[in-house]
Amino acid sequence: MSGVTLEKIVKRYGAAQVVHGIDLQIEPQEFVVLVGPSGCGKSTTLRMIAGLEEISDGQLSIADRNVNNVAPKDRDVAMVFQNYALYPHLNVAENIAFGLRIRKVKKPEIAKSVSEVADILGLTEYLDRRPADLSGGQRQRVAMGRAIVRHPEVFLFDEPLSNLDAKLRTQMRAEIKRLHKRLGVTSIYVTHDQVEAMTLADRIVVMRDGRIEQIGKPMDLFNNPVNTFVAGFIGSPPMNQFEATVESSDAGPIAVLADLRVALPKLPQLQTQVGRKVTVGIRPEHALITPQDGANTIPVDLDLVETLGSEALLHTHVSGNPFVIKTETHGDVDHLYGVKDVYVSPERIKVFDGETGDVFVHPTQG
Amino acid sequence: MEKKFSWLLQHLRREWQIYVLLAPTIIWFILFLYKPMYGLQIAFKDYSIFRGIAGSPWVGLEHFETLFGSDTFLRALKNTVIISALSMCFGFPMPIILALMFNEILNQTYKKTAQTLVYLPHFISTVIIAGVVVTAFSPSAGIVNTIIGWFGVEPIYFLTKPEWFRPIFIGSGIWQEAGFSSIVFLAAIAGVNPSLYESAVVDGASRWQMMWKITLPSIMPTIIIMLIIRIGNILEIGFELVILLYQPATYQTADVINTFIYRQGLQGGQYDVAAAAGLFNAVVAFVLVMTANTISRRVSRTSLW
Amino acid sequence: MTLGKNTNDIKVQGRTTMKKLTITALALASTMMTTPVLADGHGSKIVDEPLELTIHMHHKRYTSYDESWPVEQAAREMTNIHLINKTFGSNTPQSDEAINLLLASGQLPDVIGTSRIRDVVNQYGPQGAFTPLNDLIEEHAPHMKAYFDSHPDVKSAITSSDGNMYYIPYLPDGKYGRAYFIRYDWVEKLGLEIPNTVDELKTVLEAFRDGDPNGNGEKDEVPYFARQWEELIRLVTLWDGRSSGSDTYHDYYVTDGMLAHPYAGEGYREGIKNLAQWYAEGLIDAEIFTRGSSSREFLLSENMGGMTHDWFASTSGYNRLSADIDGFSFKAMAPPASISGKRIEEHRRIPFKPDGWAMGGTNKHPVETIKYFDFWFSPEGRDLVNFGVEGEQYELVDGEPQFTQAFLDGGPVNSQLYQIGAQLHARGYFQDYEYEKQWSNEFALEGIALYDEGDYLIDQFLGVSLNADEQKVYDKYNAQLRTYMLERQQAWILGTGEVEAEWAEYQEQLEKRGYSQVLEVMQAAYDRQYK
Repeated sequence: MSGVTLEKIVKRYGAAQVVHGIDLQIEPQEFVVLVGPSGCGKSTTLRMIAGLEEISDGQLSIADRNVNNVAPKDRDVAMVFQNYALYPHLNVAENIAFGLRIRKVKKPEIAKSVSEVADILGLTEYLDRRPADLSGGQRQRVAMGRAIVRHPEVFLFDEPLSNLDAKLRTQMRAEIKRLHKRLGVTSIYVTHDQVEAMTLADRIVVMRDGRIEQIGKPMDLFNNPVNTFVAGFIGSPPMNQFEATVESSDAGPIAVLADLRVALPKLPQLQTQVGRKVTVGIRPEHALITPQDGANTIPVDLDLVETLGSEALLHTHVSGNPFVIKTETHGDVDHLYGVKDVYVSPERIKVFDGETGDVFVHPTQG
Repeated sequence: MEKKFSWLLQHLRREWQIYVLLAPTIIWFILFLYKPMYGLQIAFKDYSIFRGIAGSPWVGLEHFETLFGSDTFLRALKNTVIISALSMCFGFPMPIILALMFNEILNQTYKKTAQTLVYLPHFISTVIIAGVVVTAFSPSAGIVNTIIGWFGVEPIYFLTKPEWFRPIFIGSGIWQEAGFSSIVFLAAIAGVNPSLYESAVVDGASRWQMMWKITLPSIMPTIIIMLIIRIGNILEIGFELVILLYQPATYQTADVINTFIYRQGLQGGQYDVAAAAGLFNAVVAFVLVMTANTISRRVSRTSLW
Repeated sequence: MTLGKNTNDIKVQGRTTMKKLTITALALASTMMTTPVLADGHGSKIVDEPLELTIHMHHKRYTSYDESWPVEQAAREMTNIHLINKTFGSNTPQSDEAINLLLASGQLPDVIGTSRIRDVVNQYGPQGAFTPLNDLIEEHAPHMKAYFDSHPDVKSAITSSDGNMYYIPYLPDGKYGRAYFIRYDWVEKLGLEIPNTVDELKTVLEAFRDGDPNGNGEKDEVPYFARQWEELIRLVTLWDGRSSGSDTYHDYYVTDGMLAHPYAGEGYREGIKNLAQWYAEGLIDAEIFTRGSSSREFLLSENMGGMTHDWFASTSGYNRLSADIDGFSFKAMAPPASISGKRIEEHRRIPFKPDGWAMGGTNKHPVETIKYFDFWFSPEGRDLVNFGVEGEQYELVDGEPQFTQAFLDGGPVNSQLYQIGAQLHARGYFQDYEYEKQWSNEFALEGIALYDEGDYLIDQFLGVSLNADEQKVYDKYNAQLRTYMLERQQAWILGTGEVEAEWAEYQEQLEKRGYSQVLEVMQAAYDRQYK
């Protein structure tokens, strides 16, 4: 198995630059997810790795071999497309076998590989069907079968689940994860859905406007976003953010927003920032509805209770800013309508620079 | 009954916009296709314009007997089928090949220029096409004879040679229409999902393989539909060009049903005989289309209806 | 049916008669100064109060009747009859299409004038679409009666199968149409004489082919060419064959009251055999079948064409090329004598055309209408229709109409006349050759004089009016008979078949394709009409 290395990869269309020098080291057998909003350059990056787009600048290596000028077929990668890219005139078996037939693999060998793959993906009984007669999930499995059958060094997934409904997506997610475990092939997966990223990835690469914002393990990104963008992108619902000013108090630094005063983590770096504009970030999960020792008490105006089952989202306002709280229901939501205050431990609060949006103090530093 | 009627009324009130949109097509069909069908009966009548359709006496199948009793008509029928079949064999694949070739041209300027050049003959009137053909194949100054002259071949008076009529006619037909007909196939190619090609590229397919294994199969439904339509027109040969190109000397290979009708029927004002021949044409076309469609539906799951 | 040679005499007589009439009228007018012109008290006026008659008039050159034509205006003045335009299908140049639209509409106007009206009236007249004219002419149309009395063959020819006349034709005047034209300067340059026999003609054409008469060093001369390939077939007359009996190609012909098709005769066989040889030897334009209507223009202006058979007036006009081509002289020559020594010119103008006008079957004023038709055969009417309006297009010089110089200089005479509503072939009238003579090229007149002198014209077949049953037989066989004849004809000329070897089989095939049946019905109709 082989890794993939991107060094200062740039993509330009004429004068417009859409990917601005990406550096990324993907380890062998790793499952890396590129995530970001539409237009962030994640698909373009993936297509450059596949060889479908030319690399304008920088170096791309697969298995320590520079492949900038290597044809897609010789990069030993396999790609799964969003719309499956199945050949409508071929049946499932022929679709899976397509890549092998192109490579003039011997017939008995093809048959063997196809049946293996069909077995892995549970497609054995559908081998004679045309794509038009399959469900969305089955089509997606066929598309993956086409990739798997070639035993490539690297799998590339371009939003493979976005055409499926929510339930199927969850199911396929698990299946992809299982497949990766079983096959152990280096995988690069592009999605705009952070849930997919969180559940699938060994490491997540968050991209915005053709740049990498942050690379890290899912929980790292969740716990320690480097800026407001990552903070807002990772986690569902996203982190609550509001503007405030740092002031000092006897108990340490506090954030002041109108008449609200919130105690911040007692970090020495914050003490020196009195008077500075900051963005205060609080994850919905970290705002508790039962009083805690040493926690800030924040009064909220409840707008709406959104019941999800075992959990509920409380949509509220804090000093005019929307503020979402995620809490356990314990089987009953009635008591949630009485919520007037929430309690947030200062240690759980993130503070970002008001201007740049970068995290004020990186926790690892603090 | 009452209930049904009120349901219909309600339905119409709710959906009237859709029916208004539908109306022009229906009116067009009634006016230009169904109403004229009334006139088909003159194929079975001794038709006089002055007496009108209703006033002309019935003569049964007399006109059909006249047609099938005529050697010239039978020869015209034979020629029609042969010319049609040949132009289908050679003329039908040409637009597809052209479309595939255009699709492989990467340089946009070059592609547009080439397309315009092959579309152009379509917009030239048949009379001029015939003039071009006559000039090109002229024994004294024609380019064809000039070229074969370089290889020491004596000039051939192509347009008076029965054996040359069909190649020239079919060839000029292809020259005139292949480019324009390729538009529908180009459109079909444009409709092929681009990720099919990308997927094939990653799988390692060459352009040639992609053409055979992706493009052609993907536009196959369009090809089949076009073929069925074409089969329906098998007896409809563009007879203007035949009239402009044929000579008595080439009648034996060139005379087709429509030119026969023209000489026999319209020049002599025999509308009833012409209608009989036209009706025969239509019936044959109908049978052919039905057959082709059924076969296609069974074999390839593509059909007109 | 001995129209041929004495048409001219009749024409002259006709003209003389009219002149006399005019003089009489003048005399009457001058003696009865106080009363209006003619004895019946109202001159050429047909009605006292203006009467409106509706008209459908369609010809490819004028697809409707224009009430503002000066000729119509003048006719209104003279007759008090106003023609009101009710033409169908003015948006198409196809007259047959227009007349079919009119017939199908079921509303026939009072007057219907169109090209090729003969077939229409013969078919639909007996069904009641048109008013029979015989009795009306007899009683109310002295000028037309006089014409038909002196031209019984024309009267026979336009009589329908039920014995009625349903239309008044356009009657062209002048008898010469096509003639043999040859490059006099080439003949002279090659030291030869204008050919008098078919053998001499061959020698001249061979000299044209080999002698480089255009002097460009290339063997590019085309000895015999023609705009219509049928004019090649015309040459079979040099071997005593026939190519057509009338001014229409491939038409039947009459000898001694018996109809036959020219392409079934022995002379034709001999002629085709020789023409095939001429063609193979390169004496005939190799591309004669496809060169088309521009071949005369092209071959003459490129100084390549040697001889043709074409219309006097337009072909003579090419002598203007002498300005560009040194010595160019393309003039009419007398028809060479055939192998039996006969000199004939097969083509001539037909004395009446299938064009003209007719009276609708629902016309409420048949007497006024026939009088109006007759007006155009009267001296004033004839001058009006031939020359236009007096004082505008023409003036009387010594009592004869003479186009004004301004008018002659104003462009092509014919199209100028169409524009004012004169010389309309969709009107029944008697043309006066004098009108054409006044603007004919000197070379054309010279050629006509030559042909007049030799008296080369022959009798013409004026066509038959078939009844419904006869028409059915004719329709059934004639088109495919002709198709077969033309096919073999071209094959023989081009050398893909051999006339001598195939002749017996050819005759057999003609029989099989109904030649006898067609001849039989046509002969029956002919006997009914002309005997």
